[in-house]
Order: sequence, then structure tokens, then C-alpha cells
Amino acid sequence: MRILFQIRPILAALRSHKTAVMLLMLEIALTMAVLGNLVFVVYGTVQRSRVPTGVDESRIGVIQSIGVIGTANSGTIENDLAVLQAVPDVVAATYGGPPLWFTQRDSVFLDPSHGHKLGRVYEFQGSQGLSRTLGARIVHGVDLDDNEIPAVTRYTPTMEIPVLMTKALGQHLFPDGRALGGVIYDSGNNPLRVVGIVDHLRGSITGSPDDDWSIVTEFMYGHQDGGGGFMIRVRDAAQLPEALRAAAAALQKANPGHVSNKTFTMAELRADYFKSDLASGRMLVAILLILLVVTALGVSGLASFWVQQRRRQIGMRRALGATRRDILRYFQAENFLIVSGGVLLGAVFAYALNLFLMRRFELAHLPAHYLLAGAVVLWLLGQLAVLGPALRASAVPPVVATRSV
Amino acid sequence: MFGYYLDLALRSLKRNKVLTALMVLSLALGIGACITTTTVLRLLSGDPLPQKSDRLFYPQVDPNGKQGYIAGQTEPPSTMPYIDAMYLLHARRAKRQAVVALTSGKIAPQRANERPFYSDGVQTTADFFGLFDAPFQYGGSWTAADDEGGAQVIVIAGFLNQKLFGGANSVGRTIRMNDHDFRIVGVLKPWSPQPRFYALDLGGHDYGGDGDAMFLPLKTAIDLKMGPQDLECYDTVTNMDDLAAAPCRWLGVWVELPDQAAVADYRMFLANYAREQVAQGRFSRDETAMLDLVDWLRHEQVVPDDVRLQAGLAYGFLLICVLNTVGLLLAKCLRRSREIGVRRALGATRGAVFAQFMVEAAIVGLVGGVLGLGFAELGLFGIRHQPAEYASLAHLDVSMFLFTFVVALLASLVAGLLPAWRACAVAPAPQLKAS
Repeated sequence: MRILFQIRPILAALRSHKTAVMLLMLEIALTMAVLGNLVFVVYGTVQRSRVPTGVDESRIGVIQSIGVIGTANSGTIENDLAVLQAVPDVVAATYGGPPLWFTQRDSVFLDPSHGHKLGRVYEFQGSQGLSRTLGARIVHGVDLDDNEIPAVTRYTPTMEIPVLMTKALGQHLFPDGRALGGVIYDSGNNPLRVVGIVDHLRGSITGSPDDDWSIVTEFMYGHQDGGGGFMIRVRDAAQLPEALRAAAAALQKANPGHVSNKTFTMAELRADYFKSDLASGRMLVAILLILLVVTALGVSGLASFWVQQRRRQIGMRRALGATRRDILRYFQAENFLIVSGGVLLGAVFAYALNLFLMRRFELAHLPAHYLLAGAVVLWLLGQLAVLGPALRASAVPPVVATRSV
Repeated sequence: MFGYYLDLALRSLKRNKVLTALMVLSLALGIGACITTTTVLRLLSGDPLPQKSDRLFYPQVDPNGKQGYIAGQTEPPSTMPYIDAMYLLHARRAKRQAVVALTSGKIAPQRANERPFYSDGVQTTADFFGLFDAPFQYGGSWTAADDEGGAQVIVIAGFLNQKLFGGANSVGRTIRMNDHDFRIVGVLKPWSPQPRFYALDLGGHDYGGDGDAMFLPLKTAIDLKMGPQDLECYDTVTNMDDLAAAPCRWLGVWVELPDQAAVADYRMFLANYAREQVAQGRFSRDETAMLDLVDWLRHEQVVPDDVRLQAGLAYGFLLICVLNTVGLLLAKCLRRSREIGVRRALGATRGAVFAQFMVEAAIVGLVGGVLGLGFAELGLFGIRHQPAEYASLAHLDVSMFLFTFVVALLASLVAGLLPAWRACAVAPAPQLKAS
């Protein structure tokens, strides 16, 4: 309660330093505006880097292959898959790539004349076993069946092809909820019949809802040769690095002409995918920390100046009976008032900056609790910055009052 | 007089070392952040071909269907189909013209026991090298006849020549790419424009790297079924193998136009062509566009969002640092009211007091600039270790070096204005009485 009684004299004192107080408030307000929006941007990136693709990420490994050099020892995909499946711990293998890799995007249509475009979707195409290897969860309908997928040799541009579709895409294409059994067309002529709905399958992670618009198609491969990506899924995530090494070696042994560029796990792929975003986030955080330090230094510098300037007044107050604690509280309360003013102004600035960023960078609306958190941080920062000068003020002996300066 | 102010300023700055250090440090941090981000921004928004960027143009037509078309409000897409690109190429209405798509190919090693590897390449036409001033180390471009005949000839980059032939003159030798033999006709000197403007929207990286490894005639690549990196179809495709006839757009066209008259002529020519196509029923839209190189880069927004965000942020940061310095300078100068009173009483004009304080602010700025340069180098060192495409290009050049001091002086003088004005407004009499 004592602090409340002190507010009037503090306000009176501040009135005689209008310019300096305004400057400090402005600085704090700007800091708050930057702080709130920046933390929001960085947190968004971090959150995005945690969005799952929907596949069994911890158990999937990829072998990138250029294909076979020379015709002397040509391999077939059928054989390659058999070799991969024979590797201990491998539960499924396929010829095809994982999400976040070179995922193909194509437009889909509800009618074969392509009059009504429904959006661009991620197309996961591969050999038999693609869906099993991805390990996406089927929530309606059935998985693709090796007996029903078309053989790649019999492919015609008009044949019907069974597909899996994500729930999100199903809801977008068939708002009446009848995605299962529905037919769509991609930019070719093939009707694609939906036989199963998978929970999630994100082709890329950009934060946009259409990340989760994907379809999966499989073709039966036999004696064809192919390069690109082979994928395996293992039983136990801990065994993945070992199994992946063994699988690459087995592929090489079965087929010496096979040129495999590199192998990587889905976890490594994800880390690589977000590397640059997260690095940019780290950079923003670095700027932010420096900004907080600068603001604290500014507050602290001005406070120590005020303490020095008021040594005589402080001495008088002490001589008139104020305790050291009272003096300490005075400067702390003064700082709190200034920072509060800055925070109020800062909330307005933060919203203005957010509106600007929303227009320029497609940022979302800044939630109010970011402002609250920013205010708390700045209050704490202000108290921390003023502590040194305030302690120095409280150490001023009463005898100063009796000396002429 | 200036020397005297300098002496006064230095004395005053020395008197309160902590406050001075705070001012310098805060200004230096702000400047460091600004210079770091501005360097990156400048790097990314730079002109990749300054000697002729104003003569290079990127014509666009719109083969898309009626769906979603609002006359006068739709922009042509960034690439065009083979038929239209070939028409523009063969019309020869510009001084030079080239058609571009990106590709990649599997290159077999020259020595035994080495593994084949993938390299990025460009499918293009004979004028490409002259059009973009790509310098040759050995040999030269292929001919227009090679373009028409689909000859298996290739131009390789210096680094690929180094890798395959140890840097020797390899013109006339053969390399095996995608299981076909190509005769080398030229070897480029190191050439890697940043950004890789001719590849924008064709499905490749925009920045970084040593440039493309190989260049081969477009027709040859089509004959050998080497697909482009990016392809967008606007109608039903019946035969994907016949890319030349497919209703898909995948090619960029560049033309060199020497003067304004030629530019106006070409625009007219392009507009007429689009109208003819509409009249023939091949096109539904008659919009065309033709931006010069720099405008095209701007249109494609090659500078990544996060870089622009960081730069904007850094300038906000500098503003906060300047405010900080204003506060501290103000504190200092108000404390010296008595000193100012004495100087005024002894005959110094307001202008003299103002100048004295501005000199003091400028010194803070210069020292802040030097320190800020150190912070900027530190920041750029950090950037070079980021996993961005452009990371290795982040270096301070002479103009940025000078720019640092301009920013530092400007910032400190702006910061000094208010305190100096307050100082020269001090009335001498009360100050003298108080002591």
C-alpha cells in the first residue's frame, strides 16, 4: 500500500523530465512491438517444424538410386524389392519417395473435361507396397491391394486407377462426405477411384491447409528397371540406421551396376527440410536478445543518471526519515510506471506492426496473450535494469543533504 | 573552432565513461545488425548482369484456357509452350534470342573406378552464351544448325571440365551423358550469375553454387527425352512423350533489344502474335508482358521473405538504438546545464553550443560505426554458416563499408539533434545563480 501513496510524488517528479520519460516509453513501446511479433514468427516456425507428415516417420529410410549403369547387369524393380524385403527387420519396401522429398503436385478435376479445377494435390506414386511402406493410417475404406492395382505394363491413359486420399482432401473435394468411392481426374485422362481414406499425408509442410491434400497411387512393377527412390520401413525405429545400411549394401550386392547416391532416414530428411527455416529463426532470436540487452542498458543508463542528479533530494528524504527501502521502492515504482506507459503504447504498436506483417508476409493475427507475455517480460527487464541504480540510490547517506553540492 | 569543440567533446565523453560506452555500444549493435541484414538484402536484390540488364527482356504470352479468365486482369504465366517459344526464336525479331529450360543428367566418369554422378544443366539454343555474356575458356557455342538438327553437342562449365579432364582443353572430346555420347564444343570460364535469373520459375535454385554444369541444345534434349525440371499443363495431355506438341508450358524466352525503338517494336510484335493466336483459336487470352531483367527479378520476388523481414527488423532495431542514444545524450547534456550557462555567459552563441554538442554526438557515431563494422563482420560470419543458398556470398564490400559510416553518422546526428537543441536553449542566468 505504501507504494500507492508514493505514486503522486513520482508522477510529479516525472513531469519535470517529460522528454526523457517520453523517450524511454517510446523505446519500450517499440521493443515490445518487435518482441511480440518476432516471438510469434519464430514460434510459428518451431511449431511448423513439429507438424507430422502422417507417415511412420521414425521407421522409414530412403535409398536414392540413379538406376543401373550399363545393360550388362540390369536389375528389375521386382528383384530389388525382394532383396530389400529380405533384409532383417524390414517390414515393407517400395519403389517410390517419401513426403518432403521431390513430391509431385498436380491439378485435380471432378469431370474429365477439366472444366472445374478443384485444386493442386500432392501425388505419391510408386510401386506395389508404397502405402504399406509409408504406414499412413487408413480411417475409412481399404488399403491398396496388390491384386487390384494396375500393372505398369498395361497402363493406358484412360484406365481407372484406385487411389488413397487424405481426409482433408476428401472433405475439400466432396463436401457432402462421400469421398469414399468417388472419382476424380488428374491432368491426365485417368479416372482415379477413391478406395481408402488416410488420416494425414502431408506432401510438404508450409503451414497451409492444402499441405494435407494428397493422393497415393500404386502400380505393379515387375521386370522394369528404375531409378529414383527406394523406401523401406523397419519394425523397430532403433534398428533403422543399421537396416538402412544393410539394405543399401544388399541392393548393391544383388545388382553391382546399381548406383546409389545416398541413403537417409525420414528423420534426417525432416531435419534437412526445416534447417534453413530454423536457422533463420535462430537469427531472429539473436537479434531479439541483443535488442532486449540494448533496451535494458538504456533504461539502466537513464536511471543511474537520474539517481546521480537527485542525490541531494535522496539525502534530504533520508534525513527526513525515509528508510533505504523507501528509496529503493521509489525508483522501482518509478520504473514500473514508465514501463507500464511504454507497454500500453507498445500494445498499440505491436498490433499496428502485426497488421503490416499480415499484409506483407501472410502472418496470422497476433494473439493477445503474446502482448501480455511481452508486457511481463518488459516489466521484469525494467526492474532488473533499475535494480543497480536503485540500490545505489538507497545507499546515499542522509548526510548528503547537509552538504552543498 | 572545430578543434576546440572536438577537445570539449572528448573531455565530456571521458568524464562519464560508462554512459559513453553505453551509447557507443548501443549504436554499434544497431548499426551492426543493419549492415549485416542490408548486405544480405543487397546481395539478393543485386543485378546479376549489370552491363546489359537493361537490354535483356523476358517476353510472356498466355496459353491458358478460358476458365478463370477476366480480360485485362489476368497476368500471363511465367513460361510458355514449345510452339510459341519456337515461333519467337525463329522470328529473329531481336538482336539475340534464346529459349531456356532446366534439366539434369547422369554423367559417366572418364576414368575407370569412378562413379557416375548427376549434374544440373540447361537446355537452350545457340544464342544463350552471347545473350548472357557467358565467357568461354575454350571453344564456343554450338550453331543454329546444331539447334535445328538436334546435334549431340554440349558446352560444359569450367568446374565440370576440371572434374572430368583435369582442366585441359577438352573441346572435340566426348562425354557420356544419360547413356548418350556428346561432343564438347565449348568450355566456360567460371560463370554463375547471382541470382540465377535465367532459371527463375523453371524449377531450380535461385542462388548459390558454381552455376550450371552443362548446356545442350533444346532439340537434342527433347529428342533424347530429357524432361525439363518443371512443367505445367493447361489442357488434357494425350501424349506426354511428345513435349513439343503437348499443351504444356515449360520454356522461358529471353531476348536482347538494343534500344527503346526495338523494345516498342518487339512489344507490338508480341501483342500481334497473341492476337493472331486468339483469332486462330489456339489462345483464349491476348495478354502479353515483357519485363526487363531487373523488373523481372522484382516481379518474381527473388528476395526471400525472411530476409526482408530480418532487414526490416534490423532497421526497427536501429531506431530503438537511436532512441536509446537520444535518451542517454539528453541525460548527459542536461547534467551539464551549469557548464553551458558559464559558456553562454562568457559569450558563446547558441549556435556554438549547438555545434559543440553535435560534434560530441558525431564522435559517438563514428566510434559506434567502427565498432558496428566489427559487429557486422561478426554477423556476416554467422550468416556464412547458415544453411541458406546464398550463405557463401555474404561479404562486406567497399560500398557497404562506406555505407556503414554514413548510417553511423546520420544516426548519431539525428540522435544528437534533440539534446543539442535542449542544450543551446539553456538560459544562462538561472544556471549561474544556482551555484
